[in-house]
Amino acid sequence: MSPVRTILGIWRAEQNYLAFGALLALAALAAGVFLMANAGATAAAAILGAALVVPVALQAIGAARVILRYSERLVTHDAMFRALSRVRIWFFNGLAHSAAGGLGFRRAGDLLARLVNDVEALDGLYLRILVPGLGFVVLLPILAVFLARENFWALLALLPFVLIGLWLPWRAAGLAEHNAHQAAAAMAGLRNAALDALSGLREVKIFGAEARMLATITAREKTFLAAQRDLAGRVARLNAAGMLAAQAGILLVLLIGLTAPPIAAIAAVFVLTAAFEAIQTMPRAGVLLGQSRAAAALVVAAATTPPAVPEPAAPAPLPASHAISLDHVSFRYAANLPYVFESLSLQLPAGSRAAILGPSGAGKSTIAALLLKLQAPQSGKIRLGGADLATLPAEAVRSRIAYLSQSTHLFADTIRNNLRLGDPTATDEQLWAALDAAKLSEAIRALPEGLNSFLGEAGSTLSGGQGRRLALARTLLSPAPILILDEPCAGLDLATETAFYETLNTAATGRTLLLIAHRLTGAEKLDRVWRLAGGTMVAATG
Amino acid sequence: MRKTETPAKAWVAGEIKRGQAAARLPIMFGAAQIVCGILQAFCAAHLLAAIFYRAKNLLDIAIFAAGFAGFAMLRAAAQYRAEMQNFERGAAARHRLRSTIFSSLLAAGPAGLRAKHSAELAGIAVDRVEVFQGLHAAWIPATALAVIGPVIVGLAAFAADWRGGVILAVAGVAVPAGMAVAGIGAGLAAAKQFAAMTRLQIRFLDRIRGISTIVLAGRAADEAAALARAAEELRHRTMRVLRVAFLSSTILDLAAAAALIAIVIRFLPVLHGVPGLIPTALFLLLLTPEFFAPLRAFAAVYQDRMAAEAAAPDFAALPVIAPAAPAIPLRTITAESLTLSFDEVSFAWGEAAVLEKLSFRVGGGEMLVLTGASGAGKSTILDLILGFITPQSGKIFVNGQDISTLIPAARARLIGWIGQKPTIFGGTIRDNILFARPEASAQDLAEAIRRAHLTDVIARLPAGLDTQIGEAGFGLSGGQAQRIAIARAFLKDAPLLLLDEPTAHLDPALERDILASLKNLAAGRTVILATHSALAQDFAKATGARRLDLDARRHAKFLTVA
Repeated sequence: MSPVRTILGIWRAEQNYLAFGALLALAALAAGVFLMANAGATAAAAILGAALVVPVALQAIGAARVILRYSERLVTHDAMFRALSRVRIWFFNGLAHSAAGGLGFRRAGDLLARLVNDVEALDGLYLRILVPGLGFVVLLPILAVFLARENFWALLALLPFVLIGLWLPWRAAGLAEHNAHQAAAAMAGLRNAALDALSGLREVKIFGAEARMLATITAREKTFLAAQRDLAGRVARLNAAGMLAAQAGILLVLLIGLTAPPIAAIAAVFVLTAAFEAIQTMPRAGVLLGQSRAAAALVVAAATTPPAVPEPAAPAPLPASHAISLDHVSFRYAANLPYVFESLSLQLPAGSRAAILGPSGAGKSTIAALLLKLQAPQSGKIRLGGADLATLPAEAVRSRIAYLSQSTHLFADTIRNNLRLGDPTATDEQLWAALDAAKLSEAIRALPEGLNSFLGEAGSTLSGGQGRRLALARTLLSPAPILILDEPCAGLDLATETAFYETLNTAATGRTLLLIAHRLTGAEKLDRVWRLAGGTMVAATG
Repeated sequence: MRKTETPAKAWVAGEIKRGQAAARLPIMFGAAQIVCGILQAFCAAHLLAAIFYRAKNLLDIAIFAAGFAGFAMLRAAAQYRAEMQNFERGAAARHRLRSTIFSSLLAAGPAGLRAKHSAELAGIAVDRVEVFQGLHAAWIPATALAVIGPVIVGLAAFAADWRGGVILAVAGVAVPAGMAVAGIGAGLAAAKQFAAMTRLQIRFLDRIRGISTIVLAGRAADEAAALARAAEELRHRTMRVLRVAFLSSTILDLAAAAALIAIVIRFLPVLHGVPGLIPTALFLLLLTPEFFAPLRAFAAVYQDRMAAEAAAPDFAALPVIAPAAPAIPLRTITAESLTLSFDEVSFAWGEAAVLEKLSFRVGGGEMLVLTGASGAGKSTILDLILGFITPQSGKIFVNGQDISTLIPAARARLIGWIGQKPTIFGGTIRDNILFARPEASAQDLAEAIRRAHLTDVIARLPAGLDTQIGEAGFGLSGGQAQRIAIARAFLKDAPLLLLDEPTAHLDPALERDILASLKNLAAGRTVILATHSALAQDFAKATGARRLDLDARRHAKFLTVA
């Protein structure tokens, strides 16, 4: 099934609203065409001395058109809002179940943000492509009747009409879809050059490479603009061709009119003019369709990718104990990549407090990914409470684990709602207790709206340290018996980090704690410490 | 929020002003299209009128038909030119914005990146800039033509028949007047709809960005339901607003329909028996849609302006950095052996003092080790030397010359630097090492690779020196990446070497290895090493380095104050 069809399939739940909106749009369009026909015919009749007053029909159609246009706008927009909310929820659910949810485990926010752009590109499908397209289909027979009434040969004017309404958009769609891939690749090149220059700004300055970097960025931008210019030029030519075709059609009908009955001839010319005006955006709609097709392919692929770890066919019940053990576990991200670790074993009894240390890139976070069932080992067994992790449903496993990492997201929402992600049933008392434990309650009480204070995008109302503390409070609220903290203090200064661990020592008693870090501050109270380097794990002493 | 509103508005206004100055040509092409349309309507009216004449003048018909066809071609040409011109205006504007942003960020250096993450800035400069295509290529010309177009068409109508002209003029004035009476501005519907979409999109984007947090918290189903509720609520609220806002489009429809009917009424009683009036009547009927077309086109592009305004706060907030021009004459310096000294240097980030009246001196070929906890000022000292920040008071001297009088390129030539984690750029391993000196000979490159102990590493890579590394390429370990930084430093061969926690991310075995390579690199150079690693400090001691303990210095100061 084509990706655009998949999207249309999602809209089916709103088909009545969508159909009603389209119907109103078509009625408004027909009224507009009849208004022009009637105005022309009335003028012609007057010239011939056959009409001295404005027919009621003209006024009625005029009024009807205005009312229909207003209702059309309301109903189609309402239907569009319904449809696009469906698509967004479908996409969210799809992403949550697919491998892409796991992508967010690493720094994939920007990638996901770009996918959101592609979802937005689908918003025009109904109002700007489907409804005008239906308009073309409905206008075709109306136009045929008016033209045939003038003269059989006037039907030739249908040729440019079909050219503009069908062939040009089809051509434009093909060009735009092809171009969308080119432009996206050029854009990715530009983005990489920009990221290189900015994230490596220190090196750029030190090696005096400013001019080189700027030249690369400019060259990449040129490639991107050239791809856009190519499409703009081709579409402009299609538009010009469409406009010439329309004028040729009108001229034809004008000339044929010289030998036809006057009223029918005038009506035909006016109807044809109005009809061409109504479909003049069709080549543009074709461009949008092409771009939507490219976007839909990406969106549908992301939302329907199967999860990296398949769910067990016959899920086992969740055991009561929550001791963790890794037994000769080997893992690599792909068959052509080296093993992150091989034959790794470790025991984490319920209630124990442990740390895994090691340089970045050693695979510490991969252990968390395995425990959270975002990845599965190629060999060896991971057990939770004695049960093989592979036989347990991912959601059940995750209900036992509260996970905090540097990529843990703070939402643009109230502090209360951010905290309740950890426990939706928590009372305000419990929320304050968690904030107390994370040593954040004082700062929140100082805010004019307390728990109802709204956090900016990615928690920008709070300082970096306060943001990490809020994320910790949320993690502590979770009733899960296992806490995994993955570099929870990355980017914080030492004093804040020490205070954070002192908090943790008292706040997480009774739960299993697994701390992942590249070094310790000395403030952590731990039962055991391992060091992971070069794919093997050795016991270490703090 | 309110604070950023005014600069953002001013910023958009500035963009529009620039855009309008640049858009004269495409606006002229747009006006030419309208003129062609009027002339076509004139020809068409005469051809239509000929339908009613018993005796048809074939020459007239041929002339008007040729005129119609000719003006159609001119119109198509003008339309094509206007479209391409508009694209170019938009492309030029985007290029200008990107160049300005990147030039100032590159000029500002790392200090300019303190407030925003580099990925975020790249997103603004690359992706967000795209929305200005609509402002420059569509909104600016359409706004001008929404005024020019009706005026030209109205004048043509007046010239043909003053009563008809009055009808169009009244309709034209009635549109904005009617909107004002109803309390709705032009483009209000588009603005409201855009605001609603933006709010929905922001919420959606935020939830998608944080989707792994939601999934791992086991709250995906709840969040999907909440998202649906929010969208539903938003739809209700938006539709309530749109019910009023769409009246502005309806007033336009109403005016168009009323004008058409009024023109029919104007001519109806007088047409019969006055053949001279027939072309005029038909001409005015055909002009009516032309009169309203630019107004409709304006309503259609209103959201382009809204999109630009929505993006503007990001741009208004960007630092605009003019390349600093020191008043003192600039010098270049070439040095084989380099002596560095700080003379009573003080630096503070805002209110927080980091360094107070720090003085020290490092002789040529000597090593100074900076120790102290995070935040004690180790990196600040290095950034001061690099020129990324400037001291609030005091001076830094290189071979006795004030470092602030050196031209930036000369200063950069003097300094080699290795940090915690080198940036690996997209490209081959060769590109990455040559980054230090692109014009280096193959021999120099091979020498740098050998001395950085990269020979074996490169031999094991699938395509040797031409192996792609970085984000999309082959992943390097922390130690391998650090060796690339060392190779870069060998290649650059600068007399002053700054080492900022060069072994912080490495495990002890690797750290020893890298320190051995650094020892080779340090030989004969003036070195400042910032570190809190015990191993690195031992290494420095073995080479006879002096130590500056910033914690102890602070502590001492604290004691004297107390």
